[in-house]
Amino acid sequence: MWAQFLIGVLSLGFFYTLTALGFSLIFGVTHAFNLAHGELIVLSGYLAYGLMKAYGWTFWMTLPLCMLLLTGVLVAMHQVLKKVGEPFELNSLVMTFGMALIAQNVMLFFFSADYRLIPSSEAAVFSPFGRASVTETHLWTFGLSSAATAAVFLMLHHTFLGKALRATIQEREAARLAGIHVDRMKGVAFAIGGMLIGLAGPLFGRLAYLHPAGGLEATLIAIVITIFAGVGHIRSLLLGACILAALESGAALVLGTNWRELVSALILIVLLLWKPHGLLVGKRSAPEL
Amino acid sequence: MKRHPISSSAVFWAVILVLAAWPLGTAHPQLVCRVFTMAFLYAVVAMAWNLTALSGLISLGHAAYFGLGAYGAALMDHYGSGHLAATLTAGALSAGLYGALCAAVFRNLRGATFALVTLAAVEIPKVIADNWESVTYGSLGLVGIRPLPLVRLGSVAIDFGTSLTAQYYALLLLLFAGTWIHGKAIHSRWGWALRAVREDEQAAGVLGVPVHLLRWTVMTLSALLTGLCGGLYAHLHGFVEPPVVFSAHLSAIPLVLSILGGRFRWFGPALGALVLYPLDQLVLHPVLPAGHAAVYGLVIVGSVLFFPKGLGSWKK
Repeated sequence: MWAQFLIGVLSLGFFYTLTALGFSLIFGVTHAFNLAHGELIVLSGYLAYGLMKAYGWTFWMTLPLCMLLLTGVLVAMHQVLKKVGEPFELNSLVMTFGMALIAQNVMLFFFSADYRLIPSSEAAVFSPFGRASVTETHLWTFGLSSAATAAVFLMLHHTFLGKALRATIQEREAARLAGIHVDRMKGVAFAIGGMLIGLAGPLFGRLAYLHPAGGLEATLIAIVITIFAGVGHIRSLLLGACILAALESGAALVLGTNWRELVSALILIVLLLWKPHGLLVGKRSAPEL
Repeated sequence: MKRHPISSSAVFWAVILVLAAWPLGTAHPQLVCRVFTMAFLYAVVAMAWNLTALSGLISLGHAAYFGLGAYGAALMDHYGSGHLAATLTAGALSAGLYGALCAAVFRNLRGATFALVTLAAVEIPKVIADNWESVTYGSLGLVGIRPLPLVRLGSVAIDFGTSLTAQYYALLLLLFAGTWIHGKAIHSRWGWALRAVREDEQAAGVLGVPVHLLRWTVMTLSALLTGLCGGLYAHLHGFVEPPVVFSAHLSAIPLVLSILGGRFRWFGPALGALVLYPLDQLVLHPVLPAGHAAVYGLVIVGSVLFFPKGLGSWKK
């Protein structure tokens, strides 16, 4: 029982890290709240579902194409967001809210409002601790999420590009003075964010039902974890994601699965009340309208 | 405004006059009448939303108030009195209470933080309505809400429940009331206080404007009005269910309509509603049954990019 709970929490926690990673990177570098984040993850999930259904692709074959396409979408989004005027944070929020609506309706048009699930076998691959079971989905989620997180971590801390990205996150003006192309870094952040979203989508389709209106929950989760961890701290992201996964799974266990959605919303409200400027701690406060 | 004798507010009045005269003068399809009735309703929601926006706070969660209003009215109709005054009061009060609570709890939040918090605040009433099955019937929703009543004025009986024309005029009256309040929030002493709070809170405080009280009042009023519209919606449609009345789409509608019409004009949100909603329902819906609502998203993106002050500012 407890072992099963722990396996579920760990795999969900790593998936949440993957979800929050792209959001956090984009927000840190460009200060844009991407409210369409969850919708794009669901879109990528639908894409994988469509490819598997229509062309009989296996699960792993869909991943590269999803990542490529979503990177394209995010780069296009960046081109639009670049033209937004001040106050940037609020305008980008309103703008991406509009984009989320567009994405929802595109999905409604192509895939209708039915609930869909990427089929996966429920059979245990191996069973540690006696009765607990680790399924194929657990392994895919755990493996892909940790690989992507590790790759981003290594990129941020051991390459020159990573150094430039971290400098932009920490102090944009100083980075610009040091000769870093801040605008190019923003493009890079959106591209990496797109890859991560593309990877998260097919996994989302295996873990939960795909539904055109189902993206908001993923967006809220990404925001909660980003606010908890601050931007650019991957280890804190991992910790926050696991705590959130444990809280949500605990609430689902005690109260029933339907109350789970409430947990992330409540945590978000409490976090924002506690740290009203929490997103850019120690820097200038969020611009006001 | 002064240099151009024909101002855009005159255009707005002309539109209103045409709309008021049109169902009497010509034979009209029921669908068009119905669509404009709903456009009036959403115009009032947009103006209610804009009350909060005029004080400098962008809310992404007015669906919470709309849904609470609809559920308040529906539950009152189901369990208590079916009298219209009772149900609408219940709807407006439940939304107003939640709005007052939100306004009190979120009083120190501004800008993007406030927008995020309101987005999350929709989930609370939504999940409760979805799961408290013994009272709200959960995701099945409440059905069989009584339609609007039959009113006798002397010897004339007007049936608001079945006559679409009667509903049309009732909602047009509501639109006038809403526009009046919205106009007051721009062109009055109270409106100037709101503007002062929006532009510079500290300076407004120094001038003696009670900043927190003003924000709290305006947010509560906004929630009350939205809840009233939610209650009317429940009566007009006859059923409520959580995914419909708490949908993100309902939070987006007032934002889109206000931004399109012009947030800083007294007629802006109403103009946006009268242009965009019929366009969506009468032109786009028949062409694209699924996904026609993408136009709202496109309008947000387009307005923020190209004319952030809205349609109302095109003609000075």
